[in-house]
Amino acid sequence: MNKILTYAFLFSSLFAFSQEADSTKTKLKFFGSYEGNGQWYTNDKNRKIQHDSVPLRSNNYLNFNVNYGKFTVGTQIESYTNEALLNFNPKFKGTDFATYYANYKSKKLDVTLGHYYVQFGSGMILRTWEDRALGINNALRGTKLVYSPIEDVTLTALYGRARTGFDVANSDVYGFNTDINLGKLIQLKAFDFKYGFSAVSRFEELPENVQNFEELTNLFSNRFEFGFKNYYLNTEYVFKTRDAIIKEGNLDTDFAKEGSALLVNFGYSKKGLGFDATLRRVENMQLLAQRSPDKYAALSSTSVNYNDKILNFVPSLTKQHHSNLANIYVYQSQYQVVMDQSTGINKFGEIGGQLDFFYDFKKGSALGGEYGTKVNLNASSWFNLKAKYRYVNNAGEDIYNYQTELFQTNEKYFSDYNVEITKKVSRNFRTAFTYINQYYNNKQIQGIFNEYVVNSHTVFSESTYQLSGTKSITFGLEHMWADNDRKNWAGGNIEYNHNENWSVFAMDMYNYGFDEKTHTISETDLFDIHFYNFGTAYKNGSTRIALNYGRQRGGLVCAGGVCRFVPPSTGLGIQISTSF
Amino acid sequence: MKKLILTLMLFVSALGFSQKKLPSLTLKNLEGTTVSTTQDYNEKDKIYMFCFWATWCAPCIQELDAISEVYEDWKSQLNVEVIAVSIDDARTNKRVKPLVNGKGWDYSILLDINQDFKRSLGISNPPYTAVVKNGEIVFTQNGHTPGSESHLLEQLKALK
Repeated sequence: MNKILTYAFLFSSLFAFSQEADSTKTKLKFFGSYEGNGQWYTNDKNRKIQHDSVPLRSNNYLNFNVNYGKFTVGTQIESYTNEALLNFNPKFKGTDFATYYANYKSKKLDVTLGHYYVQFGSGMILRTWEDRALGINNALRGTKLVYSPIEDVTLTALYGRARTGFDVANSDVYGFNTDINLGKLIQLKAFDFKYGFSAVSRFEELPENVQNFEELTNLFSNRFEFGFKNYYLNTEYVFKTRDAIIKEGNLDTDFAKEGSALLVNFGYSKKGLGFDATLRRVENMQLLAQRSPDKYAALSSTSVNYNDKILNFVPSLTKQHHSNLANIYVYQSQYQVVMDQSTGINKFGEIGGQLDFFYDFKKGSALGGEYGTKVNLNASSWFNLKAKYRYVNNAGEDIYNYQTELFQTNEKYFSDYNVEITKKVSRNFRTAFTYINQYYNNKQIQGIFNEYVVNSHTVFSESTYQLSGTKSITFGLEHMWADNDRKNWAGGNIEYNHNENWSVFAMDMYNYGFDEKTHTISETDLFDIHFYNFGTAYKNGSTRIALNYGRQRGGLVCAGGVCRFVPPSTGLGIQISTSF
Repeated sequence: MKKLILTLMLFVSALGFSQKKLPSLTLKNLEGTTVSTTQDYNEKDKIYMFCFWATWCAPCIQELDAISEVYEDWKSQLNVEVIAVSIDDARTNKRVKPLVNGKGWDYSILLDINQDFKRSLGISNPPYTAVVKNGEIVFTQNGHTPGSESHLLEQLKALK
């Protein structure tokens, strides 16, 4: 009953906001948003899936804020009813205030008390953010001060504890950051020149007998940015002081190492042409708000698997594809140290890079045709760090150690070479074609041993035909040839937009081509199966409501290079989002 | 706790009349210059169209490509400026500059790298459009419908 009441109020609030009175002169401003993702898990005989013991689940986020001049206060209430969607962090339980803050903002000063989101540099040293699809919200709760004494200088100082579930982690985070536009400050005309520096400390108490490393872990980041005409060059170097490493799911206080990351990005671009290259070397850069992961024995999992209590962001630098099939083998950046004597998997970081080239063939040119043609070439390759390592020290004790080489490697983790061509063929018809070649080292990335390297070729084509006004049909076809694992896939999707409010869609992914004699039946899903999905969406103003029914493939769901494992499921889903 | 939340929601329902202002934030543009959402987009009666997009969002790119083709025409009929706000995070934000240039887009670009702007408007997913006039959000659109550009021009004209 209580729940129904909650929802009734929630909806009444939403309706009230949509009526925007036009000339209220009060200075009190109110704004916020609501997002709800619900799922009804059903049985699926063909997949031999029994629905979960809690078949109705939903994640709800109600955010509201009040602003009065320079002051703003706000909160986010989260409700996981009856429970959170399958395989979200088990700490998301029940209904409660999740974040709250009070903020004062003037031209030079920005002060926050309560929960806040922040990023220093590219986030490798510190990033707190929210990603609802992945169940990430590591907002720091404390104080953040941002001060800009002059236009070209920004200073940030902060203190806080990272959010975990509806609570905070048991450690203190201190941070300082400055970004200086040096070029402008010394009035350089020809060059752009910027400098950034950050320092982050995490303090977590240790038992008295631990002497191998400090309770306070420090990280430093130095950044330079240069620009000259159409050229640019950016670098970042991050250093992490000696800290203990997680060994087979447990913190090993005898095994402590320093960490580092070096990022170099450069490019050239002018109208109609863009080139960009990024190179990165990362070693031992995992940073958690608490060193030791929580164990979930019943799920045979730990908090690390739910991206819980993370403090930094070391994304995989690969193209995020639109094709469904090209998202089956998704790379996750290998920034953490893994040493496992039983499996023989030893990883200390990664090294590699990504190249991008964009070109616009002008209208009227030979390749441009009447409406122009746009091309993107993208390539990325990522490798391990070559290292000497040992499981036993000279005294015969069971103490791990390693020593990496600076720029050497002896195993490839992943590569992705792809080309995408977008073309408007006529006034009513536009089409895109993509070819993707991927190499995926399943053993090193996911720890799967059976025939662990997957080489795949994917072709994907999607076109939109404008019927009239806002009526249109979008249809796509794709195929992936894979030489291993689950072998080949075929897929298709179709979407009909009736007008600006209504649309319907249907899609399917079909897996085939393996030999059952040589393939063991997959643990996560059966072979020879259609993963279909169909649904409808209604949108109006800031509101969008979507319904879908279908099968969710078991495996990794990824966004921004961070992934979450989802179990195979079938069911009805509803997504609502609105802002006011 | 439940009671407190219910009370809060009641309070919220009662308060539910307000006009929405564009939140005041500072973001970097493609040249690395700091830009204020309120102080740099405040020409009287000018229409500012903030389009939230990402390099990995195909409908967003389709929408911005489509507007790009009619943008000159729009500008000749209206005092309008399109600001494409990239919500790409550190994973993909280096692809923004070459993509924008490679596409030949003429928009002002803002980089919302930790999604502060997106969050302050309560946006769940891109594409999302917020049209601002005299500091007030006068029109929002959650999602993209192919072909809606022509309709959008009429809607923008009606704002006059």
